[in-house]
Amino acid sequence: MKFDIMLTGVGGEGVLTTQVMIARAANIEGYHVRGVQLHGLAQRGGVIPTFVRFGSEKEVSSPGIMQANADLILAFEPLEAVRATYYARKEKTTFVIDNYPLVPIYANILNVPYPSMNEIIKRIKPFAKEIHVFNASHLGIEKFGSAIFGNTILVGIVTGGGLLPLREDSLREAIRATAPRDTESNIKAFELGLQLGREKLSAR
Amino acid sequence: MDVLEKPGKKVVLLGNEAIVRGALEAGVGFVAAYPGTPSSEVPITFSTIAKKVGLYFEYSTNEKVAFEAATGAAWSGVRAMSCQKHFGLNVAADSILPVAVTGVRAGLVVMVADDPSGWSSAQSEQDTRYYARMLKMPMLEPSNPQECLDFTRLAFDISEEFQVPVFLRTTTKVSHSIGSVKLGEMKKPKTRGGFQKDPDNYYNLRPHLQVLHDRLNKKLEQIEEKYGLELNKVFPGKGKIGIITSGVSFDYAKEALLELGLNPPIAKINMTHPISKSFVGGFIKDKEAVLVLEELEPILENFAKQIAKEVNPNLVIHGKDLLPRYDEYNLEKVIPALEEVFGKKLGIDFIGHRKKVDLASKDSPPRKPVLCPGCPHRSTFYAVKKVFGDKTIYAGDIGCYILGVFEPINMQDFIVSMGAGMGVAHGIGIVSDQDVVAFVGDSTFFHAGMPPLLNYKFNDAGKAPLVVILDNAITAMTGHQPHPGSGFTGMGEKVEPVKIEEVAKALGAEVRISNAFSQKQLIQTLQELRNVKGSKVLISRGECRLLTRRRFRAKGLTLPAFQINQEKCTKCGICTNDFACPAIVKTTMTTGEEPTYSINPDICLGCAVCVQICPEGAIHAAKKEGEK
Repeated sequence: MKFDIMLTGVGGEGVLTTQVMIARAANIEGYHVRGVQLHGLAQRGGVIPTFVRFGSEKEVSSPGIMQANADLILAFEPLEAVRATYYARKEKTTFVIDNYPLVPIYANILNVPYPSMNEIIKRIKPFAKEIHVFNASHLGIEKFGSAIFGNTILVGIVTGGGLLPLREDSLREAIRATAPRDTESNIKAFELGLQLGREKLSAR
Repeated sequence: MDVLEKPGKKVVLLGNEAIVRGALEAGVGFVAAYPGTPSSEVPITFSTIAKKVGLYFEYSTNEKVAFEAATGAAWSGVRAMSCQKHFGLNVAADSILPVAVTGVRAGLVVMVADDPSGWSSAQSEQDTRYYARMLKMPMLEPSNPQECLDFTRLAFDISEEFQVPVFLRTTTKVSHSIGSVKLGEMKKPKTRGGFQKDPDNYYNLRPHLQVLHDRLNKKLEQIEEKYGLELNKVFPGKGKIGIITSGVSFDYAKEALLELGLNPPIAKINMTHPISKSFVGGFIKDKEAVLVLEELEPILENFAKQIAKEVNPNLVIHGKDLLPRYDEYNLEKVIPALEEVFGKKLGIDFIGHRKKVDLASKDSPPRKPVLCPGCPHRSTFYAVKKVFGDKTIYAGDIGCYILGVFEPINMQDFIVSMGAGMGVAHGIGIVSDQDVVAFVGDSTFFHAGMPPLLNYKFNDAGKAPLVVILDNAITAMTGHQPHPGSGFTGMGEKVEPVKIEEVAKALGAEVRISNAFSQKQLIQTLQELRNVKGSKVLISRGECRLLTRRRFRAKGLTLPAFQINQEKCTKCGICTNDFACPAIVKTTMTTGEEPTYSINPDICLGCAVCVQICPEGAIHAAKKEGEK
């Protein structure tokens, strides 16, 4: 067994913390875990393409995912979902996108407009088995006071919706071990996501 | 912290964290470092745990100083380590060379992280394996976090057994990859010792120098003999074509071979200096062909070619004929090379897929790295450009302000190495009549900026460039490590901060200080300094806004918030296109519609500089709800 996740977003969005959360949950279940983080120069407001892979030790050795081979792409920013298509293909990849656009300054400076959500979905479609869009960060702001909670909501959504083959309890344990502050709010955000995932994704 | 979990437990660690655990299992007592990504999380982790486990840790002023301190500890019988990125090793190399010749008493490990592809750094794609050859030091290379732990521990043992410093070399995808790691027993750190006078060891002038040099050569031969077969591994397989590899390339090879359904024999080189002749010779002697997988330089490949002349002259050796000598590897690069050598196709059109992705991403705004919202450097750059314009030569340097290389700032005309902007600016000033402004960060100034500033005074031709020290009170780019001006050490001890202005004055410069968040003060001070002949420094002082946010949060305070008055806004675009703070958003819902300018309250850090640069006075303080 092998499961390949790509998490993508913008520096400062908490992508790395979410990656560690999922990696720890997979470790709790006894899987062999590999993955890539991105630090330093590129991290400052740039794209953070990050991977978590888990499965048997024999099958999972490379830290990065092969092109067109992700099972799940979690995009914390819609435009970055488009660039993540490098790791996606129609037969295999599910996209879960947080509808929280962070317009890069270059959209203005170079006068390249930020695409609409419809346009983004149109561009991703040829690479996706399924595309699901949620307002996770907006919910995070509304319910917990910060967009950062959108990350745990999104992890809850994919867990509740059966898109991430890990147990709810393992994720709860991993969240407790990982969430740098506001552990309880993060658990609540996760539960909210679980419920949303069950409601919106179970009828797929 | 997972890095301190119980022996026997399996945890997920970053390669850099696993290195720390390996050092703890070896009983390291003294660690010194200057931060540099991709090595930064090694010192960051040490800094977090040092007090708890009872070892000594310091952020030194630069890598050379760090290595020297670690040497002092190792010479005094305490296991020691210095950590740096590849360029940091260049700084330290001057002292490492003689210590390799002299040798050590307790284990001394020099951890160095290369950065093929430049994910974490600009400048060059240096292959530090050459240093192992020049410095004559053993070098171990882990492929993944488990090996990061195991090899670090082993590096201490080898160092102590042969009394020679040992390199632990990683690359970005080893340091910054996560993986399952099984933990071993930690040793209580030994932190006390003493230097023993010993001319037979430390006297390194001729003719004794030759004795020491000969001894070092013999040590390397002994290490090759003892560990060459033990440390490197053959993974048996089928066929007459083999793979020789090391580092992260091994993990790519394993997975790529599984995808291709191939099972050839693999020779994994874990000690890349000295490379074992008998290990490589034994592996290649019955092969028809080998593919060597290594990032950057063909070091293993050339070694195999050399050995093949003796043991198997007909051997076909592939490597850099099929793979690039620049950038890092990945599965998409390794698979086609394997397809070529083994004549088996996976049937994936990597290039075709890439083209489809490029088409899908076409006409999307790029997202290059940018200075954070509220960054004091953005404000400083803005004011300097107002006073000095586009024609002035802007010398760049290493730190967050390197991001000033991108538009709309475009104020890092060249970037060389730590402190080099000031050094190069001097030469330009001497031979030309151009205006030159050199930017340097606070940590970088302490690291390597003091000698070039002193040189302006010493060799003053009345044309010294203006030095702008961007003082944000911390080493920000690598994750907020303290420096001599920060007022605390790597172990969190309070110390008296060194004042940059006093240092700069002592080095002969005329010094002015400005609040980095005040455009008015910056512009006025810059205009004054412009007319000063001789060595001159502007300290643009403003705390890294991420630190300010952290301080505010800790006190339960909220950062000030700002908004744009839509009636006053003339949509001139200065805030988004010239000042270009990422928190200011221009929204056009449909084509042809008038855009709206607004501030994203979730990422604005309340520096208030946009208020000062808006020509219409349309930006003003807002009431903000909730914690930020």
